[in-house]
Amino acid sequence: MIAASPAVEAIVASEYEHGFVTEIESDTFPPGLDEGVVRAISARKGEPDFMLDYRLRAFRHWQTMATPKWAQVHYPAIDFQAISYFSAPRSKDGPKSLDEIDPVLLETYNKLGIPIEEQMALSGIAVDAVFDSVSVATTFRVKLAEAGVIFCAISEAVHDYPDLVRQHLGSVVPHTDNFYAALNAAVFSDGTFVYVPKGVRCPMELSTYFRINARNTGQFERTLIIAEADSYVSYLEGCTAPMRDENQLHAAVVELIAMDDAQINYSTVQNWYPGDAMGRGGIYNFVTKRGDCRGARSKISWTQVETGSAITWKYPSCLLRGDDSVGEFYSVAVTKGRQQADTGTKMIHLGRNTSSTIVSKGIAAGEGEQTYRGLVRIAAKAAGARNHTQCDSLLIGARCAAHTVPYIEVKNPTAQLEHEATTSKISDDQLFYCRSRGLTAEDAVAMIVNGFCKEVFKQLPMEFAVEAQKLLSISLEGAVG
Amino acid sequence: MSAALDKGLVRWLAAAPCADAVAADWLEAQRAQARARVVDQGIPDSKAENWRYTSLTRLLAQGFVHVAEALTAVQRDDLEDLLIPGLESYRVLMVNGRFMPGLSDLHDLPDGVRIAGLAAVLKSDPDALRERLNGSVGDEQPLFAALNTAGLDDGLVILLERGARLERPIELIHLSVGMDEPRVAQPRHIIALGDCAQANLIERYLSLGDSLYCTNAVVEITLGRDAVFTHQRIQSESARAFHLSGLYLSLGAASRYQGTNVGLGASWARTDLYVRFKGEHAECDLQGLYLAGDGQLMDFHLDVDHQLPQCTSRENFSGILYGKGRAVFDGLVRVARDAQQTDAAMTNRNLLLCEGAEVDTKPQLQIHADDVKCSHGTTVGQIDPEQLFYLRSRGISAARARRLLCLGFAGEILDTLVPEALREQVAEQVGRRLEQAPLD
Repeated sequence: MIAASPAVEAIVASEYEHGFVTEIESDTFPPGLDEGVVRAISARKGEPDFMLDYRLRAFRHWQTMATPKWAQVHYPAIDFQAISYFSAPRSKDGPKSLDEIDPVLLETYNKLGIPIEEQMALSGIAVDAVFDSVSVATTFRVKLAEAGVIFCAISEAVHDYPDLVRQHLGSVVPHTDNFYAALNAAVFSDGTFVYVPKGVRCPMELSTYFRINARNTGQFERTLIIAEADSYVSYLEGCTAPMRDENQLHAAVVELIAMDDAQINYSTVQNWYPGDAMGRGGIYNFVTKRGDCRGARSKISWTQVETGSAITWKYPSCLLRGDDSVGEFYSVAVTKGRQQADTGTKMIHLGRNTSSTIVSKGIAAGEGEQTYRGLVRIAAKAAGARNHTQCDSLLIGARCAAHTVPYIEVKNPTAQLEHEATTSKISDDQLFYCRSRGLTAEDAVAMIVNGFCKEVFKQLPMEFAVEAQKLLSISLEGAVG
Repeated sequence: MSAALDKGLVRWLAAAPCADAVAADWLEAQRAQARARVVDQGIPDSKAENWRYTSLTRLLAQGFVHVAEALTAVQRDDLEDLLIPGLESYRVLMVNGRFMPGLSDLHDLPDGVRIAGLAAVLKSDPDALRERLNGSVGDEQPLFAALNTAGLDDGLVILLERGARLERPIELIHLSVGMDEPRVAQPRHIIALGDCAQANLIERYLSLGDSLYCTNAVVEITLGRDAVFTHQRIQSESARAFHLSGLYLSLGAASRYQGTNVGLGASWARTDLYVRFKGEHAECDLQGLYLAGDGQLMDFHLDVDHQLPQCTSRENFSGILYGKGRAVFDGLVRVARDAQQTDAAMTNRNLLLCEGAEVDTKPQLQIHADDVKCSHGTTVGQIDPEQLFYLRSRGISAARARRLLCLGFAGEILDTLVPEALREQVAEQVGRRLEQAPLD
């Protein structure tokens, strides 16, 4: 073991960098959930009847469900009546440019290091910034519109493109899917809608920054991305949250639909507040993400870097319906302190000659606990299916834990599957080698861990890859010693 | 829990242990506790993680009843065909779960070795087993171990004192003979090796005729410090049989267990292997081979719990599936917080030969210590077309080439069987099974 240097200790003791609360008046519902609240959310957003029906169906179904208990995470029971289900920033008269945006908001983004102006000007990324639950800034709309790409808040899409929403919403993750998906369908406040028409290659990376604010407000985002035949879109999602004492629930639903020859890349960097050293506070991140490779030769790729949240419960999945369709899942998950993550993926092979790749890298440090839970299912008719799965865990410290729970179900004799999993620590030999060449223990560990995760990082768009590496180093340095 | 299932269980549970096995108070207390445990647990449905892929409906619908008395109709002549030529062993014969001293051959046992029927020991010297019975199973008895305890009346006791060695293997033949009513035999074997003792046990599950019955065996093995135990289990029950077996292992410091499980027979078979390390530097090597053809289910569950540091375990299971055969493999390796320097590797390989075959595999790791070397690997695939082409280009028919390649695939596990005579006999059985498989 290497003795912790003072610098390391300083980092260990350092508090969450992005923890602050913006004092901005919110229009928040009192805590509690009943049919009236669902109706009120729908009314507040002026939704058409089909949306209200959808929400009510989901809510009624949700009432019949019990909270899932199978994940390897431990937390006190959530009181769903103690949560407020709607919170909207005050100034909501539809800003058309940054000048119209509440300056306090803008400053919040600046503190987070996400200056919207700069991003607009420099990086060419269209940012749909979500502050609490209502989209307040949507940029580059014009440029995207020229290409025919629709990129807007889902609440706007409900009004402007009701047919698309009605056709696709809930078609990948039905409201009956699971407890949190049902809850989300009933009360989702806002989120992102992307539609890429046939033959269009989206001219820029699309990006949404989420930020949870306003005390006790569960965040129920809903994302729907539709890529028509022969189109391509890459979507980035990244998040930070202010420091809190109470646990905050986040139950998002993401639905992706890829038609013939379409490709969707969905990348996430998640760095929500993980709770303090004793495990108090921190976000509960219970997310349902699923992509439907509906068309032949379609491809959906999930990449995630999960370093935040007290509890992560997340399984981005692919339904490989179309012949020759491809599903991918690349994940780096870091748990330290008292963080718990139960994450993985499902690859459901239904079409012929479908293939999927799973690369999961778990890093557990401190008293962090993490589980890879994955399912690869080859249906009887899915001839020629191919899967390769690799899950590696790196353990740092004697009090952490890493688990691997893969389910492999094969009903077709032409399937070819491999699954490998390893668990190890950073070897003393590797460390010694680096240190003998003059690297500090900290740098050596950072380098080795970055190497461990490289396979996943190289899947991220460049801007994200840099952020992810930095995040990983900061997350881990404190845990080594 | 449906009413029909309940009835099956009640019938099973109601089976009273044999009258001549009337026993000490502590045994009655254990039976009562086990019965309560069965009632508590009820029938696990598909939501129960341990029974996710294996339904108990068919098993319980048979309405199995306990074998009440020993079957004396079996004669020595009936056994001739069952013996393995060239295998010299201490032979123990159990018919429908009852120890048959007259058909067994236990002459010339060396000093310090005691092999006897469980019923006899319970009658003559019950306190010898007081600590041992359920010593490895523990209080948290799984459903079928609890059922076994509740109906427990016979089995085999093998006790080796410190330093005792058996040069010849012990051959334990479970012979099942069909009765008018479908019967369940619930043998319980208690095996304990003292420090530095060594033994080799061959367990064979056989039947006369193509009858319907159920075996629910529980084997408890305790190894002392530096003990060495080799254990081979060949399951060739009748094609209509139901087979359940639980192996509960407690390994002392620096002891070595090498076990090979071969699953060939039965229409529905479930094997549970529990490994508990009680001392450091112990080694456990579990090998397995299963063939599942038309309508067969082969289910293997492994639970290897590394509670102490510096122990090693290997789990290596291979399966060949054809027809409408189904296999389930659920392997769990746990490493506790202080079990540093654990070395565990699990492999599960499956060969799917035909449309309609299915495999569900779930190799799991649960790790709470950082200085460990743990891995698992799983593959599901077919016969490599290039290998097939190679053999065909040398004039071998497609079907024969496939069988050869399957035998080669099985060979890795078969090679762990000793002695030679046993290995040859099992390889021949596997070959015969593959002959019947529709590989053309």
